[in-house]
Amino acid sequence: MKEKRPQLADLAEELIVLGKKEGADEMEVSIIDGYEFNADIRFGEIENLLEAGSRYLSIRVIKDQKTAYATSSDLSKETLEHLLRKSIQRVVLANPDEYAGLPSLSPRKIDLQSLKLHDPEILKLPSEKKIALAKETEKIALRDKRITNSHGASFETNEIKFILVNSKGFQDEYEQTICSLSLGLQAGETDNRVEDYWFSSKRHFHELDSAEEVALQAIERTVRQLNPRKIKTQKVPVVFEPLMTSWLLGFLFSCVSGISIYQKTSFLVDRLEKRIGNENITVFDDGLLPGRLGSKPFDSEGVPCQKTPVVERGILKNYLCNTYAARKLRLKSTGNAAGSSVSPHNFYLQPGNHTPEEIISSVDKGLMLIRTLGHGLNPVTGDMSRGAFGLWIEKGEIAYPVSEITISGNLGNILNKVEMVGNDLNFYTPLAGPTIKIQELTVAGQ
Amino acid sequence: MRKDKRIPRSLIFEDHFKLSKDDLHKILSFSLSKGGDFSEIFLEYKNYNLIHMEEDIIKETAESISLGLGIRVLSGEKTGYGYTNDLSFDKIKKAALSAASITISPSQKSVCSLTSSRIKPDFYPLLSPPHNEILEKKISLVKRTYSAAQNSGAKIKKVKVSLQDQIQYLTVVNSEGLMISDVRPMIRLSCVAIAEEKDKREFGFFGGGGRVGMEYFTEELKPEEIGSKAAEEALNLLEAVEAPAGEVPVILAPGHSGVLIHEAVGHLLEADFNRKKTSIFWDKMGKRVGNPQVNIYDDPTIPHFRGSYNIDDEGTVPQKTPLIEKGVVKGLLQDRLSARLMNRPLTGHGRRQDYAHFPLPRMSNTYIDQGEYNPEEIIRSVERGFYAQKYQGGQVEDSGKFTFSVSSGYLVEEGKLTAPVKQATLIGSNIDILEKIEMVGSDLKFGLQTGTCGKEGQEAPVTDGCPTIKITKMTVGGLK
Repeated sequence: MKEKRPQLADLAEELIVLGKKEGADEMEVSIIDGYEFNADIRFGEIENLLEAGSRYLSIRVIKDQKTAYATSSDLSKETLEHLLRKSIQRVVLANPDEYAGLPSLSPRKIDLQSLKLHDPEILKLPSEKKIALAKETEKIALRDKRITNSHGASFETNEIKFILVNSKGFQDEYEQTICSLSLGLQAGETDNRVEDYWFSSKRHFHELDSAEEVALQAIERTVRQLNPRKIKTQKVPVVFEPLMTSWLLGFLFSCVSGISIYQKTSFLVDRLEKRIGNENITVFDDGLLPGRLGSKPFDSEGVPCQKTPVVERGILKNYLCNTYAARKLRLKSTGNAAGSSVSPHNFYLQPGNHTPEEIISSVDKGLMLIRTLGHGLNPVTGDMSRGAFGLWIEKGEIAYPVSEITISGNLGNILNKVEMVGNDLNFYTPLAGPTIKIQELTVAGQ
Repeated sequence: MRKDKRIPRSLIFEDHFKLSKDDLHKILSFSLSKGGDFSEIFLEYKNYNLIHMEEDIIKETAESISLGLGIRVLSGEKTGYGYTNDLSFDKIKKAALSAASITISPSQKSVCSLTSSRIKPDFYPLLSPPHNEILEKKISLVKRTYSAAQNSGAKIKKVKVSLQDQIQYLTVVNSEGLMISDVRPMIRLSCVAIAEEKDKREFGFFGGGGRVGMEYFTEELKPEEIGSKAAEEALNLLEAVEAPAGEVPVILAPGHSGVLIHEAVGHLLEADFNRKKTSIFWDKMGKRVGNPQVNIYDDPTIPHFRGSYNIDDEGTVPQKTPLIEKGVVKGLLQDRLSARLMNRPLTGHGRRQDYAHFPLPRMSNTYIDQGEYNPEEIIRSVERGFYAQKYQGGQVEDSGKFTFSVSSGYLVEEGKLTAPVKQATLIGSNIDILEKIEMVGSDLKFGLQTGTCGKEGQEAPVTDGCPTIKITKMTVGGLK
């Protein structure tokens, strides 16, 4: 069992008092107190078993509009006081920045209970049960003759407590849990292997997909790639599976992050209230969806989370900002601070009316994108180019898998070419989208 | 406050951990109390500093302290792991028992008495260690880099410079009686420049460092060079055309192209993937998989390189390890677990991100060795093709399929490099590419000392190297 540590918030308070005394104008202290469990199973045996608790403390010091940061995993008073004193000495060497500073205290307070972030059941799960669940998942997959090797199944739980105190009077904390079940497989013979994986990740144990659901998905996703063909380079309609839409949304997020905007490292600079996509594109960032992986009551600076329209029927409505980026852009923080950077909460594309089957059957000749590999995203220009795996679509039906292809395009272009949006929005990850169809993309092959 | 260049390892160790040899022996005994073949404690203290400049100001500085220990128990193919950054004896004991719970066996191994070993060679002797340098001097390096980029032309609209340095003290103690320590310095100075012209916006990157002292920035690579090279790349890309799409001959530029060897070959010769038979190489040991010109090595002992170490994170003294010689698969990168299970000697490639992670077989400095061909002759041999110069990164899966994102390159037309090209992807499968390596140049170079490799969620600093190489045909994904 994990111990209660009420003294952690007191420790943060004490550091703030000390920092102010030593000359800081503003101070922020946050503490993460985490506990993790992970069991990896391969061929029915435990491969790795990990169990550990750990704590990290972060400090932000502001003096004369200059900022310094420090973090420590050593929470002894002596180390922390030394680190704080050094930060206050160091802060003098930075340059003043009129935009630096903590957010003012918000009167808005989110009802933590309504967010359903914490499942006490996860903490009570005996190790044997967690291990058995991973074993069961892999066992189901290994019964399938088409599966030739296993990367293993894993069951993982995390419990994280976040405490935040600042010199403007903010003091709050919340606890969250996450549990995940995953499985990676290979099919085919040595020189013609294909591989994929599937997972379920939830805040509440009772919402987790069953061993069977995870195993069957992992099998299907792996074997459907067997015996791929190469294709000629061509421009065709491309259908994105939900996880591929998530990937595209990840790229969009990096382009609407307020930090990329003030740094001018995004192709969406100066585009607020302008059209960046067609009518089919409506994107929200919502930190308040009950039980979702990206939900939380307040961000790392203590700004309450909210539901922010990012794109509405193709019009760019908001950049996602922490306090600093918001001040630089003369906007308001959207509660997306994560340390000195910005992160999405539940960032999703609003679903449409089409079933995934309808979308596929609308394609005469084209590609269903199922996986990408590599980096190849350039937020400065919106250009993207990635290695890809897909299923070839002919006359509205899946015909055969294709490999050794790359897809290239420009995000600005793609957002204007989304012809159909599916009704299958599932929050597998905090970045979530349904199946979509892009009118045309370059698919490079032979 | 002046400190010696070589800080006595044991002093740091006792200061932070307050654990005697007896205590460590006791912890190892707890960890083997439920059976288990082997146990190990990894103790780590890390101090990291960051200076970040953008918009003409030193915007922030940061310091980070990381202190903790990880305990590992091996039992057959199983690994039990526990870690803690609360260093009370109770918490450490709890971590040891968590790791021990991997097995329940009646037979118990005893822990050998601990003998401190010294490491002989030092691959990173420094004149002026970065972690002892005063902040003002580090800030001046950052400002010089920044100015050089900014003064490279009116089209440069944005510059970001970061200086990161780190000192890592680590001690490995295990149930076989090993007790060994290392102190690893690291510094990295990098610059991003963004150039704009009309509607176009492009970025360039350059940087350097390694396990070097401050002297590196006067002797090896000046900050001005880092700044101006980053700017130059961004300006060059403003003129770039879109990449060709399709199967064409590809020339890999020397240096940066080492990332391709790292991804396409190196990862799949890490022992764990071969032990588990998930790597395409698992049944190809001693077999020819590529052109006889191909020789690939991983060498953790190259002085001052980012990927180098005096001991690996399991306390093993590392060796230059042949992976492929004359096109034949020669060796694997081993950690203790895989070496034991495969009955192979250790190569010193057990690495981990930090005390919160158990070691995995990893690359260090990986390169394809130089061959016979004059690089100009290689370029002249291509009628129409693609010259891949710099990369954003790459990814490989065990089946051997890989992709690389090329951030800049050139078109090759009639044996000459012509228009600069941006944002392309190279895709292929590794055995196919090894066979299609047609010419290996005589100009081995190493890429920037800024690289980090990720595997199973763990990051490790690495360096890659490569001479000019011609690949007969490769799929290039561009827009045209």
